[in-house]
Amino acid sequence: MFTQVMPTWMPRLSFAPVNAAPRGDTLIVVFLRGAADVLNMVVPHGEDAYYQVRPSLGIPRPDDPHSKKENRALDLDGFFGFHPSMRSLIEVWQSQQLAIIHACGAPDESRSHFKSMELMERGVDDESGPASGWIGRHLASLNTGNTSPLRAIGMGTRPQRSLSGSVPVSALRSITDFHLGGDAHALQQMRSALNAVYQNDVMGQDTLTIMDTLEKLDPLTYAASRNAKYPDTEFGLALKQTAMLIKAEVGLEVSAIDVGGWDTHFAQGSVLGQMPNLMKDLADGLAAFHADMLDHMNQITMVTMSEFGRRASENGSLGTDHGHGSMMMVLGGNVNGGKVHGEWPGLGEGQLIGPGDLAVTTDYRDILSEVLQKRLNNLATAEIFPNYQPNIKNVLM
Amino acid sequence: MTLSRRDFLKLGALVTASAALASCAPIYRRLAGDLPSVPWQAMNAHDFLALNRLTFGSRVEERAHFAEIGLKAYIEEQFAYDSINDFDCEILLSSFKTLKMDANELEGISNQLFENYDREKVPNELRQATLLRQLYSKRQLYEVMVEFWSDHFNIFIEKGNGFYLKTVDDREVIRKHALGSFRDLVWASAHSPAMMIYLDNQANEKSHPNENYARELMELHTLGVNGGYSQQDVMELARCLTGWNVKEHFWLGDFVFKADIHDTGEKKVLGLTIQPADQSEAEQVIEYLVTHPSTARFISTKLARRFIADEPPQDIVEKATQTFLDTQGDIQSVLRVILLDGLSLAQPKYKRPANFILSSLRMLNAESDAAALHDYLLRMGQLYFNWPTPDGYPDRSIAWQGNLMPRWQFAFEYIRDEIKNTKHNLKALLDVSATGSLTGDVDALASLLLGAPLERGIRDELLASIRSADANSEETLLIVAASLIASPAFQWR
Repeated sequence: MFTQVMPTWMPRLSFAPVNAAPRGDTLIVVFLRGAADVLNMVVPHGEDAYYQVRPSLGIPRPDDPHSKKENRALDLDGFFGFHPSMRSLIEVWQSQQLAIIHACGAPDESRSHFKSMELMERGVDDESGPASGWIGRHLASLNTGNTSPLRAIGMGTRPQRSLSGSVPVSALRSITDFHLGGDAHALQQMRSALNAVYQNDVMGQDTLTIMDTLEKLDPLTYAASRNAKYPDTEFGLALKQTAMLIKAEVGLEVSAIDVGGWDTHFAQGSVLGQMPNLMKDLADGLAAFHADMLDHMNQITMVTMSEFGRRASENGSLGTDHGHGSMMMVLGGNVNGGKVHGEWPGLGEGQLIGPGDLAVTTDYRDILSEVLQKRLNNLATAEIFPNYQPNIKNVLM
Repeated sequence: MTLSRRDFLKLGALVTASAALASCAPIYRRLAGDLPSVPWQAMNAHDFLALNRLTFGSRVEERAHFAEIGLKAYIEEQFAYDSINDFDCEILLSSFKTLKMDANELEGISNQLFENYDREKVPNELRQATLLRQLYSKRQLYEVMVEFWSDHFNIFIEKGNGFYLKTVDDREVIRKHALGSFRDLVWASAHSPAMMIYLDNQANEKSHPNENYARELMELHTLGVNGGYSQQDVMELARCLTGWNVKEHFWLGDFVFKADIHDTGEKKVLGLTIQPADQSEAEQVIEYLVTHPSTARFISTKLARRFIADEPPQDIVEKATQTFLDTQGDIQSVLRVILLDGLSLAQPKYKRPANFILSSLRMLNAESDAAALHDYLLRMGQLYFNWPTPDGYPDRSIAWQGNLMPRWQFAFEYIRDEIKNTKHNLKALLDVSATGSLTGDVDALASLLLGAPLERGIRDELLASIRSADANSEETLLIVAASLIASPAFQWR
């Protein structure tokens, strides 16, 4: 019985459907690690208190006659405005495919990066409860009939905590990591041998097809649609490769991407500097992805999140300390876009919480639950976010 | 380019690891196993299957030994693992200092000040040591049982301080009792700080009980989900376990019973009335659970599933269950029944990722420091101590089918010697078999990896497909080796 390359006793693959449904959108989750200072990303220029707590770091009003035009906030709705380094997202905003949820976040008030990220990625309230990640539970609770080895990927050297669970996920540094490697000659020999040993095996043949598809993809030679220019950064590369995998139709359902460097305690920069550079990378990347994937936007939902926000008042080192309320962006073809959602709690005296932080008026799980239910065909949100009853905010159509 | 402190530490660890391999080359060569002095034979399919259940992939010299002394003597020899000389493997592991440290020391070397912890060093050393033992230890059945209990008492090291506490759990719970008494194993696990953190018992207080550990102790560790306990039993056992906790200062990371958060009322668990007695309340329940008939059946079934088949024969399970009850959970006695009566009925199982990698290394007498294997295991879904839910890495074949690409990639890179500090001994092995022909070499190779030569028609078809891609005979042999490791047959054991 061991003399066959293809064993006759190999059971057929059959999944017990937990909750079967066709796959929905491709979900892309961008996590801003380090607690992004969202008050300088989506600036509440309509509120005087903002300028009182941020005398040096504050971004001038869109109509501020005392500052140069290029330094002013870019108005979104008469009250909020983008930081000027996020200019490239204005076009996406105007296309109504980008929604912002301000004062959004988790109930945890530890203000610890590690703890907050862990809880948020697990989708739980406190350290007890399931140790798997919320995306991992999404994948496990929905059988889409998709057996692709690239059903879910974490960009980087290891899959994000949010992806952990019983469904195998792949970490992907580069699409070229998934090439068989070797010179063309050896590769052809191996390809040919694999085809021989897997000639009667459906799964093997599927995998060979995906491998062949990826073999031809190389981010260095990829031509984006509409001449979209991805920033030449890790983030740009991660988005570009996500776009390539979607276009190649290799079964990608989830791509998780991290962007680090947001823990700006010291000299974060007002109009220019370290944080504006990060914002520009973020905005340019998202805008390039949007342009490149415009024809696919109806099947894409993208979410950005961060573990918490930063203190409303700037600190003595021209930076900001750990705060509470954050902000999420949702981008896609089915977003109620061009709108800042959520209740704005204000930055005035009596409105801030704890040591002087933006309050949370929308739980991040409200947004993610809506994405799961409306765009990913997964109604098992009670399992994905245990002990949480989501409030659907109609951020999506 | 700026390097963070953590990057710098990682870099340091890499340099140390590669230096270690270079300076220990003779040890690795010895560990990889002696080359056989005479060509090896094809193996009887059942013996091949049996030996691959008892090891992480049968080496040539193990096959000869097994053929010589037979299953019964082989098992007894492996049970008496203390008598097996494992000196080379122990020497190799002596550089892994964290394996011997207590929780306080482990916390100390992980703590980079200001609540900034190196969460990689300690777990990675444990992972690497685990792989090295599975690869090189001559106490293979013991290591197979260590793996079994690591799944049964699964701990996900990413949760809380598990990242360093698991090293203590591995040494004091799993390895200490892997072939001993089941009662001692559960007892040690219940008092293990890593388990308490992982299953939230440190949050189990009189004023707000947490049922997590109490439930899993019955559902997954002893009785089994249909073992006859109720939600009420879970809540009552959780009350008994209030106050079982982990020290946060002085001897940090050790077990402590905190009387002030213990629920001192009377409890009723599984029909037993438990009088107020602090720590010994839960201990009384544990003593009851470990000899319960449901536990005997649950553990016997799991062992039979691991060693015999995904759906193990009922009569073997019955006999093992009875032995469990007769011996109060003596692991060797139960295992003896399962292996002697059951192995002849064994059905093929899909190799889990670690078994896939390790068997390919062991069968080709490879030398490896195992450090570069983590990345492959991660992509295949079995990076050790990384399974989030308390049920452990799945045992059933169905859970692992469908992620072929990283296995193929591994096979190809391994045979091409592209994995860092990892090298197979294919050429030297084939020099011993010296068949003098390509087809002879392919048959010898298939005997090593699959137990027996390929059917002639299949062999010729495989060779033709490689030749059609314009390969000379040296290239052909390498591609044959890689494709056999990548083949459906090698994914099963």
